[in-house]
Amino acid sequence: MPVQVFGIRHHGPGSARSLLTAFEQMRPDVVLVEGPVEGTGQIHWLGEAQIEPPVALLVYRPDVPLESSFYPFAGFSPEWNALRWAVRNGVEARFIDLPKSNWMALPREAFEEDVEEDPLRKMAQLAGYRDFEPWWDRLVEERGEVSVFAAVYEAMVALRAGRPLGALEKLREAAMRQQIRAAMKEGFTRIAVVCGAWHSPALVTMPPMKEDVTVLKGLPKVKVEVSWVPWTHGRLQKVSGYGAGIESPGWYAHLWAAPEEPAIPWVAKVAHLLRGEDLDASPAQVVETVRLAETLASLRGRRLTGLAELNDAVETVLLFGDRTPLKLIEQKLIVGETLGTVPPEVSTVPLQRDLEAQQKRLRIKPEAAFRMLNLDLRKELDRGRSQLLHRMQLLNVNWGWPLQVGGKLGTFHEAWELEWKPELSIEIITAARWGNTVETAAAERARVAAMEATQLPQVTALLEPVLKAGLPDAAPAVLLRLRDVAALAPDVVELLKAVPPMVRITRYGDVRQTDRELVGQVAAELIARACVGLPVACGSLDDDAARAMKNAVADMHEAILVLNDEGLRAFWQEALERVAGLPDIHGLVLGGACRLLYDMGAMDGEALTRKATQALSPGTPALDGAAWLEGFLERSGGVLLVNTALWDLVDGWVSELRPESFEELLPLLRRTFATFAKGERRQLGERARAGKAAANEATEWHVDTGRAAQVLPLLRAIYG
Amino acid sequence: MASELQRVPAEVEYAEELAELRKSDDRQRPPNWHLSPWAVAEYLLGGRLPNGYVISPKYIGSRRLIEIAISTLATDRALLLFGVPGTAKSWVSEHLAAAISGDSTRIVQGTAGTPEEAIRYGWNYAKLLAEGPTWSAVVPSPVMRAMQGGHIARVEEMTRIPSDVQDSLITVLSERALPVPELAGEVRAVRGFNIIATANNRDRGVNELSSALKRRFNTVVLPVPGTLDEEVDIVRRRVVEMGRSLELPVEEPAMEEVRRLVTLFRELRSGLTEDGRTKLKTPTGTLSTAEAISVVNSGLALAAHFGDGRLTAADMAAGLTGAVVKDPVQDGVAWREYLETVVKERDDWRDLYRACREFAG
Repeated sequence: MPVQVFGIRHHGPGSARSLLTAFEQMRPDVVLVEGPVEGTGQIHWLGEAQIEPPVALLVYRPDVPLESSFYPFAGFSPEWNALRWAVRNGVEARFIDLPKSNWMALPREAFEEDVEEDPLRKMAQLAGYRDFEPWWDRLVEERGEVSVFAAVYEAMVALRAGRPLGALEKLREAAMRQQIRAAMKEGFTRIAVVCGAWHSPALVTMPPMKEDVTVLKGLPKVKVEVSWVPWTHGRLQKVSGYGAGIESPGWYAHLWAAPEEPAIPWVAKVAHLLRGEDLDASPAQVVETVRLAETLASLRGRRLTGLAELNDAVETVLLFGDRTPLKLIEQKLIVGETLGTVPPEVSTVPLQRDLEAQQKRLRIKPEAAFRMLNLDLRKELDRGRSQLLHRMQLLNVNWGWPLQVGGKLGTFHEAWELEWKPELSIEIITAARWGNTVETAAAERARVAAMEATQLPQVTALLEPVLKAGLPDAAPAVLLRLRDVAALAPDVVELLKAVPPMVRITRYGDVRQTDRELVGQVAAELIARACVGLPVACGSLDDDAARAMKNAVADMHEAILVLNDEGLRAFWQEALERVAGLPDIHGLVLGGACRLLYDMGAMDGEALTRKATQALSPGTPALDGAAWLEGFLERSGGVLLVNTALWDLVDGWVSELRPESFEELLPLLRRTFATFAKGERRQLGERARAGKAAANEATEWHVDTGRAAQVLPLLRAIYG
Repeated sequence: MASELQRVPAEVEYAEELAELRKSDDRQRPPNWHLSPWAVAEYLLGGRLPNGYVISPKYIGSRRLIEIAISTLATDRALLLFGVPGTAKSWVSEHLAAAISGDSTRIVQGTAGTPEEAIRYGWNYAKLLAEGPTWSAVVPSPVMRAMQGGHIARVEEMTRIPSDVQDSLITVLSERALPVPELAGEVRAVRGFNIIATANNRDRGVNELSSALKRRFNTVVLPVPGTLDEEVDIVRRRVVEMGRSLELPVEEPAMEEVRRLVTLFRELRSGLTEDGRTKLKTPTGTLSTAEAISVVNSGLALAAHFGDGRLTAADMAAGLTGAVVKDPVQDGVAWREYLETVVKERDDWRDLYRACREFAG
């Protein structure tokens, strides 16, 4: 028989092995593989040493890069092995599926009915399996025999009987049959066809050629281009949105590498990983794990020990029943982090094209020479440039680095250092898996980075770049992640620090209303958590921690004032009051809290004086008193001019210090007073020189109401 | 008379099922096992025999865990069942022993005062004085008897036992022998001997197993009930049962009240709201089903004696706060956060929010 059809499961290592055995017997003279015809021109790359799976065949429309499809191949995929066998044996190989140029031109609704429950899944459920994969593994993949193809074929014939085909399915099968006919006509005598098991009956029993010609006649067409791009094991997973995805690429790769005895090397890998994480995993335990897995397999009536048994055994023996490290095993081994490579000359990915288009539009050329770029964000062009550079940063394509700038221009001004290196093309190919345009790819990358982050500062750090890069779609994902991570954050300082950037964001001009609401909501939740945790977190702090806490509290305070929400303000005030009421906390924090309460009007002069008396009384160590004063007075000393009682108190405290304490405290006090404005310092100095007697006189304020009224219209104009 | 007893061991109560299983069981049995591993699994999880006889399920939950437990015993490894209170650890241990050895009564109850004799052997002092050390003067422990007969021995509440006493199990498990130096001899375990221990998750750190001992056990963690409905059902049933035996003059607790309580327990336990949208801090306490039952019970008692007999949020607030806040600092934060971010936002939970806030002061 000239044509032999091999119905395989995409990415089934057992199928791949059976296929290679069958090829050695059959020695085909042409290999036809399910996959878009346009890809045939790219098959020769498989002969290159630099191409390393997982890779994907990318088909896209150059005019609309967002319209694209990926055909991933892993090292254990039957299709990959069929193609590689052909290339290595000098045999011609072709893709035979419906041309993507037709497929992409079809209106979407033409094949919507195809989205139906997988018949194979139904069969697995009938056999009592919850998931399709273990069922297929057990029945087909584990056998690795050539005879499996005949059995699968029979099953598919039965499943397909009496089931209407979808419109797209009809087209694709007709196209594949046409390609097979063409190969026969060209005179090939041993034709191997590799396709998904489901299609195999349709390619064996051929209807009259005329029917297929009619079906395929007059299909619309668009221009498409094809390229190889690097892929990852994670993106082979079904959860990553890949329809024919698999659950455990890493495990399949392992099965492919160690087919005979998968259990022992697998558990050894797990043990190695656990040791790397400082968890015990002795060789004796490895032995016991394998034994348990094998016993479980026999109790469950399985011929080979599968992943389910190994996971159960690892959990029971190595992890002492603790499931948490299984997540790590899942991520590192079962899914795996393998990233494929392609030769650099192969690729013109849409991302690259989109980048070129953007560079042209924004008149910002990639240059190998190092240069500086100053951007004024009030200008449309410069804002576009800034967004592009931020997006590239999110994609880890380090073309430019932002510089810290201060000064007059402030938030309108950005400075970048630019340098284009040739390696960056590779980075772009690597980043191509995130999306086809710079915008969508950056958004997706940010979303994934947010999902992977487990620490609050990591997520907070993403928020600003995402907004500066103008990625409104990614912002909600980052915010929601922030909320989840914040719920588990043990550190109140981190929580406090997370809020001000969020509040700053609400002030960006191009934030959408929905985002702004979400920011408000998430911020409110974070504030509630921070308020509850604040008093506990203020206990037992050393000097550095106290300074961090005081600064975080002060920033939070400002953010709360900006938010202007009465409920949150009250909640925050209550938290501050509880802090101020705590015994034995660091003076810096206590002083800071007192100051904020005083400024809010929540603590009157009398209460403040009482607090100050406690802090500066002889029973309190002088160092603590100075810390309180620093916390209280930092940034502004005006309060000393207004509150006479406080002035007397501080004055009294300083004059009663013993000489050696005074020397010790002087640098501290100096540091505090140095933060005051010049005018304030002068007034305080004058007051000190005048002594107590003059104090009362100085509290009288001389306000020229007429002159003060002159500024009111302007203020009204500014604040609306 | 068995029926006069308050409770009979599993192998007596389910003697008929075990006999039927034995009759139809034609699979291979490990040495000295009364049933094959498949039949043991069937006994625990329930099913129908080829002759139509129905086996009642003893454990309702994951089949996987029971399979792991049985496989562990079949590979000669000792089995440690971990779990919070009320997850049927002792129940599973008893039924496993009954099905495998036909005898679940070789049991060591672990307490802070469990002596070494309870695990190794003691002496009949009258005989010891009269005859000197002889084999007939040895009083064997349940473990020693299980070794001699090739049976399963059970150790309950393993982590309550002082560490030095726990460690006397190491020789038993690794050498499968118990030396008796006074008689210059030893008792060697007959095939089929094994140990099932149970321990409380939250006792970890009290008398934590030494790593030498831990390595000799396979650990299976029995989880809390999987779904809200399942757990609500368990709590309601137990409350009704206990209410009857305590003869409290109250109405049956409103389903709504129980559901709310179980929801609250589950959310705090899992650190996630049931709708999956908000993450939470988890308190240090166990928040087990058993505790949910006791909160409802104490609430009922309050309602019966000091209220109008109808269970309200105010009746439960005290018990609830006590169950959640075990560590005044850490749990206090988790509880307050939960109240402010979750309970407060739910319209039909307002009464609970007020009651709990009032109670917290």
